[in-house]
Amino acid sequence: MFLRFVGQSIRRAPRRKAMAIGAVALGSAVATAMLGAMLDIGDRVNRELRNLGANLLVTPKSGSLPVDIGGIRYQPAAKDEFIPVADIPRIKSIFWQLNITAVSPSLHAQTKVQGRDVPVEGVWFRRDLRAPDGTDSAAGVRAVNTAWKVDGRWIDDREANEHTAECMVGAALARRLAVRPGSTLDLFGERFTVAGVLSTGGEEEDRILVPLEVLERLTGRAGQVDTIQVGALTKPEDAFARKDPSKMQQEEYDRWYCTPYISSIAHQIEEVLPMAVARPIRRVADNEGQVLNKVRGLMLLIALAALATAALTVWSVMATTVLERRYEIAIMEATGAGSALIVALLGAEVAIQGALGGLIGAFAGVQLSDAVSQTVFGVHAEAPAALVPLVVAVATAVALAGGAQPLRRALALEPAVILREGA
Amino acid sequence: MFWRFVLGAVRFRRRRLLLAFSGLAVAATLATALFSVYSDIDRKMRREFRGYGANLLVAPAGNLQSVPMRAVAEAEKLGAVAAPFVYAVGRIGEERVVLAGIDFQRAAPLTSYWRVTGSRDAGPGECLAGNVLAAHFHVGIGQTLPLASGSCVVRGIVNTGSDEDSRLMVPFARAQAEAGFQDSASLVEVRADGQRVDEIRAALARALPETDVRVLHAVAETEANVVLKVKAAVFSLAIVIFAITTLCVTGNFSALVIERSKEIGVLKAIGAGEGKIAALFLSESLVLALASTIAGYAAGLAVAYGIGRKIFSDSGSVAAIGVDFAVFAPVMAVTLLVAVLATLIAASRIWQIEPAVILRGE
Repeated sequence: MFLRFVGQSIRRAPRRKAMAIGAVALGSAVATAMLGAMLDIGDRVNRELRNLGANLLVTPKSGSLPVDIGGIRYQPAAKDEFIPVADIPRIKSIFWQLNITAVSPSLHAQTKVQGRDVPVEGVWFRRDLRAPDGTDSAAGVRAVNTAWKVDGRWIDDREANEHTAECMVGAALARRLAVRPGSTLDLFGERFTVAGVLSTGGEEEDRILVPLEVLERLTGRAGQVDTIQVGALTKPEDAFARKDPSKMQQEEYDRWYCTPYISSIAHQIEEVLPMAVARPIRRVADNEGQVLNKVRGLMLLIALAALATAALTVWSVMATTVLERRYEIAIMEATGAGSALIVALLGAEVAIQGALGGLIGAFAGVQLSDAVSQTVFGVHAEAPAALVPLVVAVATAVALAGGAQPLRRALALEPAVILREGA
Repeated sequence: MFWRFVLGAVRFRRRRLLLAFSGLAVAATLATALFSVYSDIDRKMRREFRGYGANLLVAPAGNLQSVPMRAVAEAEKLGAVAAPFVYAVGRIGEERVVLAGIDFQRAAPLTSYWRVTGSRDAGPGECLAGNVLAAHFHVGIGQTLPLASGSCVVRGIVNTGSDEDSRLMVPFARAQAEAGFQDSASLVEVRADGQRVDEIRAALARALPETDVRVLHAVAETEANVVLKVKAAVFSLAIVIFAITTLCVTGNFSALVIERSKEIGVLKAIGAGEGKIAALFLSESLVLALASTIAGYAAGLAVAYGIGRKIFSDSGSVAAIGVDFAVFAPVMAVTLLVAVLATLIAASRIWQIEPAVILRGE
């Protein structure tokens, strides 16, 4: 009987019910699209900001001060201060290994070219780095510095070869030496072909880059590097992150250790590379957090505004639906139905409409946020699985809340009063 | 008579109209807030990128070792922030250290990312020490470093995570003298407005042919990319939200007419023309739409102001969202259009209503 009543009410006025469901669906779609986009956009911008280059610098522990200006050393580096190449994959074994987006090891030296001292850097251009757990990831200067531009071509060093006779020259240096892609240069008494000219705007423009193994052979430092640039996705530092970890309680320390702050990632790298120090590059790391916080905050407030609107829409639609039925309610009351029964009947109707609208809206909203993500970032948004049930539940709750007030009013009034004003 | 009818309808159906009114007002609020935020987001986001420091570098070209100091004046003339830097090698006891000569006043906006304990500024006879250097020589703030060319008092400890950490920052003139430079610097860093980077680079290159003016690609491009994407995201979300709320409002306004079939039947039965009835409904909707646009616009400005204050206030800018007619006009146009369209679509039923059928009961 109860079910038949509810079913019949929906069948009898399908148009009106469809409109109410449609309105709830639209509201839920806004809410879902906003939530999906909001959850997604922070990560996207974080990855975008990684184009700025490394935010962590790993160097060997040193007893002496480096004395170099623009890549030229004024004091020879101590030979026994280095990081073994074989230990580099350990960086990908730390707790936050998945947040390490790129690793670029390098070895620095200098040589005379056309009578002047020129810094030479041995690097990985693009390599697959195999982590201790067997997963591969991209490594090398190209993975860390995606904004660098090259005239000519990149050196292909996927296969390590210590006899590659190719180099890349920084654009400023190339202008001074008057070399172009295809020219030759003598470095350390060997002849190299210039594969490409590199524009970065930074210090690298005054350098020559060669494959790491080549420089190791030329300088007699096989298997050694003296710098590792690391790009990591981090959580912006807050007041807690700035506390001194050595003075933390065990509980605080665990929380700090298990949060991807730049400082805790640096600490974990030092744990796996005991011969090295890892320092956050403040210019990149701190500003990243700042920009990210702004973008997240902006999206959160927009989302809140949209959610409030969506809730208001659903609420008002359901309020209207119940308002329209007040004659029916009065007739039911007049014919002897108890308040509890009327509340249950209308509540069931409202709940069904809310849930159905919420379900349709949630799915449409997921599509919408995916479309936004596609047009803006060119990637699919990954909506969390919990989003759809959450939206359906909230839509139903808001719908019930919207219907509650007019229903209470209708029940409080004498049926005779309502019936007289109608018709 | 006509207006009495309209006002009468408003009075009698207060509750129902209030719902339609608030629906449209909310749509207008949201549209105003989102588009106000959107129109200003460019400027605000770019300001956040100032912290990254320079996006242009003036370096010596050819066989020169230095950049003329004129470069600073040229850049400032173009409306950019510029600071000269000079590097020299000094001595502390037996050890060599890199001295960085800095014009602290000019460099301040470019070095805002430095983490400094103590002072950010050093006068004659004073210096700032990088944290690695300070640890190496065991000096703290207020202590004296016996630099061979004349000792200096450490005023602050600098931590940047890069080269500065192992350097000694001294006043520009002092390092300039030690490097043997006259009226020139090792390099000049420039922070140009993000949108004018290429323009300023070209102008500087023309004015200073003896130098190499470079764009720091990573900073300039990331800024452009992030600003563009955040802007696009806010815009598409604004469109989605506006479209959906508009659809809801359309439903609301159509319902206003449909519900009143009986009334329309009565009006027709006593001889009112269809055009006149449609005009009645239309003016009712317009009054409603006008009121809700104005209310929504005011509320939207408040929301946009709140968002601006809440998020961007710490970057030293006043949340400058005023009465922006560039936003008001389209919002007004769209809300009125929606109200009119929704009413007209529903009003087409007026012609189909047979008074006898309607009044007899459904």
